Amino acid sequence: MTDFDAIVVGSGMSGGWSAKELCERGLKVLVLERGPEIKPERDYVDQLPPWEQKNLDRISQEEIEKHYFKQYPGVAYAVKESNKHFWVKDDEHPYETVEGTEYDWLRGYHTAGRSIMWSRQSYRMGPQDFTANKDEGVAIDWPVRYDEIKPWYDYVEEFVGVAGNRDGLEQLPDGVYQPGFELTDAEKFFKSSVESKFPGRNVIQARVAHLTEATDEQRDLGRSNCQARNRCHFGCAFKAYFSSLHATLPAAERTGNMTIVHNAIVQTLEYDEDAKRVTGVRVIDAQTNERRFYSSKLVFLNASAIASAMILLQSKSEAFPNGLANTSDQVGRNLMDHISGAGANGLINGFENQKVFGRRPGGIYIPRYANITEKGKPYTRGFGYQGSASPIGNAGGQIAGIGRKFKEAHRSPGPWRISIGAFGEQLPNPNNRVTLHPNKTDKWGNPIALFNVSYGENEHVMLEEARKDAVAMLEAAGCTNINSNPVNLTVPGNRIHEMGSARMGNDPSDSVLNKWCQTHDVPNLFVTDGAFMTSAACQNPSISYMAFTARACDHAVKLMQDKVI
Amino acid sequence: MKTRRQILKGLIVSIGGSSLLNSCGGIAQVNISTNGMNRFYSDEENAWVSKICDLIIPRTETPGAIDVNVPGFLDGLMAEWANSETQREHHNSLKKIKAQLGSDYLTIDEDSATNRLAQLDTKAFDGRSTDFREYRSLKGLITQAYFASEDGALLEQKWVAVPGSWNPRVEI
Repeated sequence: MTDFDAIVVGSGMSGGWSAKELCERGLKVLVLERGPEIKPERDYVDQLPPWEQKNLDRISQEEIEKHYFKQYPGVAYAVKESNKHFWVKDDEHPYETVEGTEYDWLRGYHTAGRSIMWSRQSYRMGPQDFTANKDEGVAIDWPVRYDEIKPWYDYVEEFVGVAGNRDGLEQLPDGVYQPGFELTDAEKFFKSSVESKFPGRNVIQARVAHLTEATDEQRDLGRSNCQARNRCHFGCAFKAYFSSLHATLPAAERTGNMTIVHNAIVQTLEYDEDAKRVTGVRVIDAQTNERRFYSSKLVFLNASAIASAMILLQSKSEAFPNGLANTSDQVGRNLMDHISGAGANGLINGFENQKVFGRRPGGIYIPRYANITEKGKPYTRGFGYQGSASPIGNAGGQIAGIGRKFKEAHRSPGPWRISIGAFGEQLPNPNNRVTLHPNKTDKWGNPIALFNVSYGENEHVMLEEARKDAVAMLEAAGCTNINSNPVNLTVPGNRIHEMGSARMGNDPSDSVLNKWCQTHDVPNLFVTDGAFMTSAACQNPSISYMAFTARACDHAVKLMQDKVI
Repeated sequence: MKTRRQILKGLIVSIGGSSLLNSCGGIAQVNISTNGMNRFYSDEENAWVSKICDLIIPRTETPGAIDVNVPGFLDGLMAEWANSETQREHHNSLKKIKAQLGSDYLTIDEDSATNRLAQLDTKAFDGRSTDFREYRSLKGLITQAYFASEDGALLEQKWVAVPGSWNPRVEI
């Protein structure tokens, strides 16, 4: 007899889905969250008006130097005085990098993890993304094709609520969408200019996980439509954007089958060599240092690509001396992120008699065209651009003038500026990896992460070309005052899309997971956070994590029902 | 009850006195000293910052930078947010701005002060010379602080807490 039918490690983007799907299928589920509980009514700060934000919502410089020396530089646009409790303190959660390398590990340890701080861009992977490795002889083949995962995208999108337009693009398949946020006229002009000048390129509405036409199911969970406040990094009292806290965890909770324990840091998974099964999870309480063991028939790792890999590496046994489910030696390897640092901005003229009302959560997206509709690029794979065109508005005082004229100039929306920035695909490389530090531990005695990640030539060449393309598209729209800084490739991890550290594949000798996100080595162990990704594609990945998680849960429960596990 | 001008005049004439501006309202989240003393600015610096604030964002049909206590806000910002290096830089910036405006700046008449600041502003935003980086930075802080105040946000910027919807096309 086990304590629970299933244990889900992590309550974030994918962990919430594991909890929901397993609970709704009747399993008694324990969710382990390493951080404290977040209560929206207590911890959200989205309702603070500007004049109640301390010090322009800036964290003091001394506090940044002491506690947020990685988090703040890495994601300064989102880490503020009022919401700093959503981000880890770097001095309390250290990690290191191999000399000569850098890594941004940007995290939130609390209920729902980073799903309460994400940027909500939600794009499906396309058919080409599942075949690229095989076609190009890169890494290993995905064991899944788009048609297999498509129904699960449909399934999760309907529950999540994604605002977007159906654009009919093969490389960026349409999904189940609520009404999108209409483009500004400047963006429509940019769209027509780009699509006319570059027939293989498209400018579409951003697809974002925000409710615009909430369903009965979403309203039953206490969610309502987006109010166009753009306060999403501070929580959302309306629960309009998707997070575990707003959607999946409440759905799991209402089944009566979920138990969630906070401040429970998973140290190892226990493995029974006779049964060849995981039997449970060993944790240490973050506040009391109390050690506990929870048993279960099934374990889902959803701790994030890095933390899940570290838990496996920490779980050594006679059968798995290099870490649980790691006979392939691929755990911790092939660590990927997306790459940015190339783009352009400029003034887009002719719209000075317009302004906007409201603050929408997403602007435009230019889906990947490189090596799809435009062949023969000097690099493999490609990138998409995110951006927007909007009035410059309040320029923060950086315009000439004093007195009444200067003051009243801020009432005017001013000229319109368009800005686009690339998100490119990083190729899998087994040498890009996270390992356990050989002799340094955190305050709970767990080995800290040691990163060794660097970019290859393809990433550098790709972004140089992305910068040129961005300028060319702005020029095609007649933009003036075009700025395009030299490419400044983002530090690995900085896009907060870490993935690939327990990749799926057909062959147990070179992959950790099978096509169901089930470990080849241990049948009752699944990993459904970003670790499963065999390649990165260039789309923001969260909606893919959700789809694969829901599919894996369905499969796992069927295996349990069939007594296979 | 003194008017804003009287307060400023008092500051300028009697630099040695404490800042009454800190007792004004406007930006709530600054921990202003209750005894009326600045925590970061000297009284002289406070008078300079106050004068510049008043000329950059004056009271019109809506409250100005002095009305919403931007000088007190900046004093609190520097005391609480800035580290020692930024604090030192800010002190040095004020010295440079004082030199650019002239040591007699606080004693000249209103029109002359306005003209002199306008000339400095023109130079600062004409070609982006690095000689005026400090002034541009101070102007940026003053402006950000003003529009973060309740009056600046609601009356001037027409900031709406809960728009409720997105309209990409509003004709002006």
